[in-house]
Amino acid sequence: MALLEINDLSSGYGELQILWGAGLRLESGKLTALVGSNGAGKTTLLRTLMGLVRPWGGAISFDGQTITSLSAHAKADLGLALVPEGRQLFTDMTVYENLELGAAAQRGRPHFKRNIERVFEILPRLKERVNQKAGTMSGGEQQMLAVARGIMAEPRILMFDELSLGLSPILTLSLFETLRKLKSEGLTMLLVEQNVHMALAVSDYAFVLSEGRVTIEGEARALAQNPEVRKAYLGI
Amino acid sequence: MQQLSLLLTSLPDGILLGFVYGLAAMGLTLIWGVMNVINLSHGPIIALGMFGTFFLFIRLGLNPYFGLFVIALLGLLLGILIYAAAVHRVINAPHLSSLLATFSVNMIIIGLGTAIFTTSPYNVDFNMGSFQIGSVTLLGTRLIAALVAILYTGALYLFLYKTRPGKYIRAVANNRAAAELMGIPSTRILALSFGLGTMLAAVSGALIATFFPFNILSGGSYELKSFVIGVLGGLGNPIGALLGGLILGILEGIIPAFMETSWVPAIEFALFVAILLVRPTGLFGAKR
Repeated sequence: MALLEINDLSSGYGELQILWGAGLRLESGKLTALVGSNGAGKTTLLRTLMGLVRPWGGAISFDGQTITSLSAHAKADLGLALVPEGRQLFTDMTVYENLELGAAAQRGRPHFKRNIERVFEILPRLKERVNQKAGTMSGGEQQMLAVARGIMAEPRILMFDELSLGLSPILTLSLFETLRKLKSEGLTMLLVEQNVHMALAVSDYAFVLSEGRVTIEGEARALAQNPEVRKAYLGI
Repeated sequence: MQQLSLLLTSLPDGILLGFVYGLAAMGLTLIWGVMNVINLSHGPIIALGMFGTFFLFIRLGLNPYFGLFVIALLGLLLGILIYAAAVHRVINAPHLSSLLATFSVNMIIIGLGTAIFTTSPYNVDFNMGSFQIGSVTLLGTRLIAALVAILYTGALYLFLYKTRPGKYIRAVANNRAAAELMGIPSTRILALSFGLGTMLAAVSGALIATFFPFNILSGGSYELKSFVIGVLGGLGNPIGALLGGLILGILEGIIPAFMETSWVPAIEFALFVAILLVRPTGLFGAKR
């Protein structure tokens, strides 16, 4: 059984419907990708999944429990963590405080010590910056902090929204290397990316979102060879 | 020479009062800074704090400084109630909605207060003696009020920067959606922040009542001073509010030595406009 399952999810903003019955599954221990072009509804799907946008219809179940309309903080307490688009750091607070807040959810609190050491080991740059205000760091460092904050939650599922957006290729590679490390530790992850090529290269399974619906799904390797995907998203 | 002796009596008084102004302003700027709501019921809540001292001391015989704890607790609860009843619904609406909502609360408190207490002045006859330093006389009640204000500022600072709920408040102020994603129940945190803001207002009122007569409308002038101080000291920063209050207090201490006391508000608000024009983020570089 899938760890997280979304069925027939619809939602939007005001009068504007963005999701039209989207569905996906996250298998335990796997890295799943959700790809699609700009405006397909990827971010809305994540925001609805996390409870920042109210679902209009459909169901979300996590570990056998229905969590469709829970508030965002309740979902965070269950172990769903999102590294949001545009990082959304606490820019007026220090790096250390951001990490502390990352561990604010129920699962993160008891493991604070272990996780902060782990984060400093994986992303040593942050250790040099602990007392600096998050908003004063470079874009790349801020993205590292956003990822680190996600790890601090001791999540059962860690989700990334546009991890690579605006980062240099070198930094993107190193962050994807971090994902690989987390995956080897058995963490379930969802990677939402416009960078389809990159996403398919690192993930196990992938869903393609188009105009608010999932149109194609399959093993990431197979999708990378799928002529339709190649034509529409890889530009080949 | 006469001006100098006037200055020697009015300046120390102004400085001591300034700390209490700072405390009142802290209540306004905390709410403003955390949830971007300008609490127009700030003044009447200060006045309720004044009546709190009156009833606890005159009717129940509780020492006014011990009564502060009771007033602080009641102020906190009142604030949470106001948040739940009037502010929560309009927290994401345009500014005008929250202004109208808190203005309604303002009118309700003033209406009820006028009906119950009338608008004739109340007086808490409480004397802590005075201290003589050279040719300067400090009234005991004012000295203690200033000390309490400084203590509260320190406590609020430590709360916001060193404790878990305090950090949650700063996180919600900084980025509410992100705070929710971290598992922070932001609605409860906003209610707590509003409660703390009204608590500070009520406590400042309770202190003012130990040395000035008051009625239900007396909070208004402190509310206006709180706006000036908020602009001086920036939003959501306890130390900034205390310093802003001190600046205002010093002005009030100096001005009467050179011109009519009635000039004080005119000069204060000229300062307010000048700072808004020149440094809208506040003198002590706070956000926004």
